[in-house]
This record gives sequence, C-alpha cells and structure tokens, in this order.
Amino acid sequence: MHPPEGPAWLVAIETSGFAAAMRHWLWLYPIVEIVHILGFVLLVGAAVMFDLRLLGISPRIPVSDLARHLLPWSRIGLGLVAPSGLAMFSAHATEWIENPAFWLKLSLIVLAGLNAWIFHRWTFRSVATWDRQVAAPAAARASAVASLALWVGVVTCGRLLAYL
Amino acid sequence: MFRTTIRRAIRLTAGPALALALATAALAHHGWSGYDASKPVNVTGTIKEAGYEHPHGYVRLEVPGKVWVVTLAPPSRMENRGLSSAMLKAGTSATVMGYPSRTDPNEMRAEWIAIDGKTTQLR
Repeated sequence: MHPPEGPAWLVAIETSGFAAAMRHWLWLYPIVEIVHILGFVLLVGAAVMFDLRLLGISPRIPVSDLARHLLPWSRIGLGLVAPSGLAMFSAHATEWIENPAFWLKLSLIVLAGLNAWIFHRWTFRSVATWDRQVAAPAAARASAVASLALWVGVVTCGRLLAYL
Repeated sequence: MFRTTIRRAIRLTAGPALALALATAALAHHGWSGYDASKPVNVTGTIKEAGYEHPHGYVRLEVPGKVWVVTLAPPSRMENRGLSSAMLKAGTSATVMGYPSRTDPNEMRAEWIAIDGKTTQLR
C-alpha cells in the first residue's frame, strides 16, 4: 500500500523485477522468511549459548571448545540472514527506510558486531586463564550481557517492523 | 546440576523476556490488535484498485462518501481459500466486514470479503 516513493536508489530497488517477485510470487516471500528465521536461530542461538557460558552457566565446558563449536554455526546463520534480510528489504525499501524499528535494528546489528569483534580481538585472547571452572573476567561478562541485550533488541525490532 | 543451570538461566533471562513481552504488547499495531474490534464496519462498494501482494493484499474500496483502504490477508492464504487475484479486479462490487485501524481513519482490516456471492474468511 505504501507507494514506491522516496530516494531514487530505494525506488529502483523496490521496483526491480526481484522485489516485484518478492511481493507477487505466492510462496517466495514465506520461503525467504523461513530462511531468515533459520538463519537467526543459528546466529542468535549460538550467541546466546556462548553468552550464558561466559556468565557462568555450565562452567565445566571449556570456553574455547564452546567457541570453536559455535562460531562456524553462527557464520552459517549470518550467511542465511543477510541475503534473506536484503531480499525482504527490497520488497518494501521505501517503506522500511521510514520505519524507526528498521533504523534501530540496523544500529543494534552494528553494535552487536562491534561487541563481538572487540571480544574476539581483545578479551578472548586471555581465555586460557579462564577456560573452565573459574569466572570469566568482567570484560567478558560485560560483553555477554551486551550481546544478550543487543540480540534480543535486534529480534524485537525485526518483528516490530511489521507492526509499526 | 541441570536444575540449577535452568534456574540460573531463568533468573538471567526472565527480566528481559518480561520487558520484551510488555513492549511488544504495547507497540502491537499491524496485527489484529492495531484494529478496533469493538467497532465492526460492514460496507459494500466498488473496488478501485487491488494489490495481491505480500505481506498483505489490499483493495481500495469506494463506498458512498469515502474510499476505504481495506487490508486483506497474505496472497498465499487468499489463494488457498479460493479468492484469486482475478476476483479482485477494479470495478468489481465487494462487501467487506472489518475493523477500523486505530491510527488511520481510512484503513480497515477485513475479517471477510464477499464477491459475487462468495464469502472468503481472511483471518
């Protein structure tokens, strides 16, 4: 119902053949939504499990082993959410760009990425000294709390896109 | 051990989960909660324009003195229930029962639409 009006590049995306197919093909949109959900189940699920471990749950599992196990899955998740998210964006580009939930979601994704990058770049380096049975350093726990809050926020904003 | 883990997990997540539930309830708009079910609207008019699109189809329905934007169901659901895009052509007469939007006085969400004597439930 939102007319394709706004910045030229967004209008071009929204009026493209692919975006039209997203809106008009009966099952394309639902399939893309399913891929998006499977993607964030892996990505956010892996992040939450790792964050809970950093916060002291299941202290007998070595943090480094858990990281090795979960990281590839979260990468696969990212590989599913990003293209499916862009596909859904294309179908309503000019509408979503005006939606505050969309901007908040993008900002939170950037912050979550930054948080993960900082954690792996610095905090995680010393993991050998807190790998199991001891509390993770404050920086690691802070990053876990931030990650939990940010990902809950991202999922919330994603869902609210349809309601605002 | 396992039970302690679960208890700790619940303690850590209960706050955010509750906040999330409350925020979602307060902000819900586009789903049915954004429409006022206590003021059902039943109108017959002429379809001026129709969209058989995701995430929701719609028709612009001209009734005496007003043009309603009527939000329908996802096209896959309408197709499943026998309401094809061909039936929503401009110029067709349609009757809809729906609920007005709480924010846009020209929009309603249709519970059902009747075209050519065939009623399709949309919820």
